[in-house]
Amino acid sequence: MGVLRLTLTGFRRVLAAPAVLVSVYVVTLAAAAPFALVLRNSLQTHMGASVMADAAASGVNWDWWQEFTGQARGLETTFTPSVIGFATPLDNLSALFDGSPRPPAIIAAAAVYGALWLFLWGGILDRYARARATRSHGFFAACGVFGFRFLRLGLIAGIMYWALFGLAHDWLLTTTYTRFTRNVTSERVAFLWRLGLYAVFGAALIVVNLVIDYAKIRAVVEDRRSMIGAFIAGSRFVIRHPVKTLSLYLLNGLLFLALLALYAVIAPGVGGGGLDIWRAFVIGQVYLVARLLLRLTLAASQISLFQSSLAHAAYTAAPPRVWPESPAAEAIMNAAGSGRSLITNH
Amino acid sequence: MIRASLGCSPQLVRWATVVSLWTVMAHPLFAQGPKPASVSPRNANYTIEARLEPTSHTILGRETLVWRNITANPVGDLRFHLYWNAWKDNRSAWMRERRLAGDTRLTARADDDRSFIDITSVRLIDAQGGAIDVTRDQRFVAPDDGNPDDQTVMAVPLPRPVAPGESATVAIEWKAQVPRTFARTGVIGNFFFLAQWFPKIGVLEDAGWNVHQFHSSTEFFSDFGVYDVQLTVPAGWIVGATGREAEHRNNPDSTTMHRFHAEDVHDFAWTTSPDYVERTARFDAVPERGLKPVDIRLLLQPEHLSQAERHFAATRAALRWYGEWFGSYPYSYLTVIDPAWQSNADGMEYPTLFTAGTRWLAPANVTTPESVTVHEAGHQWWYGVVATNEFENGWMDEGLNTFSQARVIDQAFSPNYLARRFFGGFIPWVFRDIELPRATVGNRLYTYRPNARSDTQSTPTFLGFPGRVVSITYDKTALWLTTLERTVGWPTLQKIMSTYFERWKFRHPKPDDFFAVASEVSGRDLTPFFDQVHRSSNVFDYGVDTLFATPLDHGSGSRSVVVVRRYGEAVLPVDVLVVFDNGEKVRERWDGQERWRQFTYDRPSRVRSVVVDPDRVLLLDVNYTNNSRTLAPRAGEAAAKWSLKWLVWLQDLMLTWAFFV
Repeated sequence: MGVLRLTLTGFRRVLAAPAVLVSVYVVTLAAAAPFALVLRNSLQTHMGASVMADAAASGVNWDWWQEFTGQARGLETTFTPSVIGFATPLDNLSALFDGSPRPPAIIAAAAVYGALWLFLWGGILDRYARARATRSHGFFAACGVFGFRFLRLGLIAGIMYWALFGLAHDWLLTTTYTRFTRNVTSERVAFLWRLGLYAVFGAALIVVNLVIDYAKIRAVVEDRRSMIGAFIAGSRFVIRHPVKTLSLYLLNGLLFLALLALYAVIAPGVGGGGLDIWRAFVIGQVYLVARLLLRLTLAASQISLFQSSLAHAAYTAAPPRVWPESPAAEAIMNAAGSGRSLITNH
Repeated sequence: MIRASLGCSPQLVRWATVVSLWTVMAHPLFAQGPKPASVSPRNANYTIEARLEPTSHTILGRETLVWRNITANPVGDLRFHLYWNAWKDNRSAWMRERRLAGDTRLTARADDDRSFIDITSVRLIDAQGGAIDVTRDQRFVAPDDGNPDDQTVMAVPLPRPVAPGESATVAIEWKAQVPRTFARTGVIGNFFFLAQWFPKIGVLEDAGWNVHQFHSSTEFFSDFGVYDVQLTVPAGWIVGATGREAEHRNNPDSTTMHRFHAEDVHDFAWTTSPDYVERTARFDAVPERGLKPVDIRLLLQPEHLSQAERHFAATRAALRWYGEWFGSYPYSYLTVIDPAWQSNADGMEYPTLFTAGTRWLAPANVTTPESVTVHEAGHQWWYGVVATNEFENGWMDEGLNTFSQARVIDQAFSPNYLARRFFGGFIPWVFRDIELPRATVGNRLYTYRPNARSDTQSTPTFLGFPGRVVSITYDKTALWLTTLERTVGWPTLQKIMSTYFERWKFRHPKPDDFFAVASEVSGRDLTPFFDQVHRSSNVFDYGVDTLFATPLDHGSGSRSVVVVRRYGEAVLPVDVLVVFDNGEKVRERWDGQERWRQFTYDRPSRVRSVVVDPDRVLLLDVNYTNNSRTLAPRAGEAAAKWSLKWLVWLQDLMLTWAFFV
């Protein structure tokens, strides 16, 4: 299968399971919302009953914003103009590539969110691998089965990402960049150097991502218990199918760039008060859902690639997950005198 | 004309000394002559020859200084600034102060990136050309902190004092190492910017020498004179310098000598690089406003060619508006330098020459390069012509100029928007919803606020805390000048500044001179105002303490109670605007002396909102959010709006990082 067809297949699998998309979106919203409530409280407290809030509600009050920033601590320090429109993805991607530090509260939020993903990946990959409904009990059963395994895989991935972001990034984009540009007097030339080093770092990041992605896929599809084994198997798959795995990844990357370009056009600016607030919020959420859709499409298409390469579509080694029977269910079964589980999977 | 040569033999020196001593006995060592007719005192006149060796980063130089004592007292020694010795090691006052400011980057510099200036010969020349070698008598002095390791001020004792009105001629030879840029001076690649590079005599005042050591947070102070400077650089390299190029001559050794001449200036800086692209333009005279034509020479980096017109437009704007408001630019030429990327030479002023600074990607309506260009061009007035002592009163040039720059940017380059840079600072993003206001952003309220109590502005600048004194010199002055503008009106402030310029051009005014002009022109004693803003580090913070309304007993209206409060220690009168539900407005005047003041209104309509200082006259108020209160607040709506935007940002951040899970 070509990468385009694989992507389409993945896309169809994601669309066929809208509940997964909705769930991860809800998780994204729910993980971030408490922090937003904290910030909301800070903003409201700082404005109090001041008339400065009028301009901030109707548009933007840069004088008030600067005053708020001047006394901001922790989470509040992240309330910068980057929250406006397209600056948001620019800021976050820039911070990723530049290794910009974030306040501990934000790191904690991202860590919690990452942990939720680790838990959910088992169910998500299982669902896309089977290419049929697994229902919530099947989904969460898979989450439960693979959650701990992925935690172990996460340790391996963590070491690799630490090597990338903690060591390689500093070496490439600080030490090497500084050495190469030490006597460069043209900003354009320096930028080309930086782009080149971004590319090197990005390439390393892609390779690690690919290996970890396929390790997860092999763990689920082949029901692997050893995560070291899954990691090695994932690496082997990427090494043996470099063109397809990379092309699939890059195609998804191109789609992401297209999404960014679209968002650059439609991203809301400062906006007004009242309904305008919600209109801007909805546009932002649609963009985020589209990001999630792309992420899930990548995972589904990678599964499709793996299955089409080593087995057949919808192949999984593991049996359908059976929801553990609770004492109550057992009691009902016993009372009914039936030897069959009341809960089955199809 | 320099008579000395580099590398005299010992016998020759001894012979010259004997001859010189005879000359001293036979002839007066110091000439007594009439003061030349000129716009400035011209009491420090230099003839300099310098040769740059770009590969070894060295300068060999020699100068003849003709210096006249224009004070009322004789002086027994001469004192020179040797600024480049500040970067020789970490023991100078400059480096110690950088360390105090938290800068470990510059103090960790390798030896090759540092600098020095070694004086190899100092001779006193008499009217007949004879010389006394006083090289061995030179010594370093540290008048500010007594630091024995600081070598930035050299004292040369004289055989006899120079009497008032007498002139001394000194021939000095030196060798200097060009540093990787410190304080906007140095080299990177083949870009050289060379400032404070020659032995420069200090300023003698009636009280004695005013020659400070080099400090990390201060700039310079020197006397006016005529500079005739020959600079030898590799052939094909472009040279920009103070003054106008009078001649250039190719040498047989593949170098070119460029001679620059400048009159009535108090410093000389220059730059050279083979990469510069030269552009020229003209500022046309505006005779009806007394503005003379100016030839503008722009030396650009090749990657900024498309921004040439932006540089010219900003320079013209400065020449026009500073000229109209304060007084005409007195020279017929001005050189604008666009420094190389990461040279750190941007944004610095020198007589008739300044460095601007821009980026490869410089979006329209974001004032890079306009802001820095206007600012540095503006220093031709506040520093170049009105030559204040930057060591002691940095606010007199930087503060006045920050205020003036903000006014010009507002006048000529509005609207301008906020921009942020991403991806290593290379990629700009413009927030076209956020227009930057002159009063608060232009005058830098937001950098002043956290440093408001750092220093009293009347403290000599070189004694200010190195990491924060900039806020007190630049920002605080610009803010209180805006307060003054909003108090006395722009026409009066403009007249104050133009009178000050006219009265003190080509001289060295002190703070009291400015204050005296301000009170005289405004027709009111502004001493209490300057006591608060200049002679104190107290902060202004007025606010609304209480606002409530209760129905009147007879049911025909409300009793509204307003309490305004002075939270800060500084005191100035403020207005209080009270707005009622029916749209009625009452403006109260509060002298601000007491800690709080109550206003009570029994009216048919209740008070809806109160604002202290509604016209934002008092720009130094560090917390304007507490200046108002309303009974119909919209903080909830505003907080919801902005926290929802932030929520999207956080979700996007989480998604970006979750890609790796």
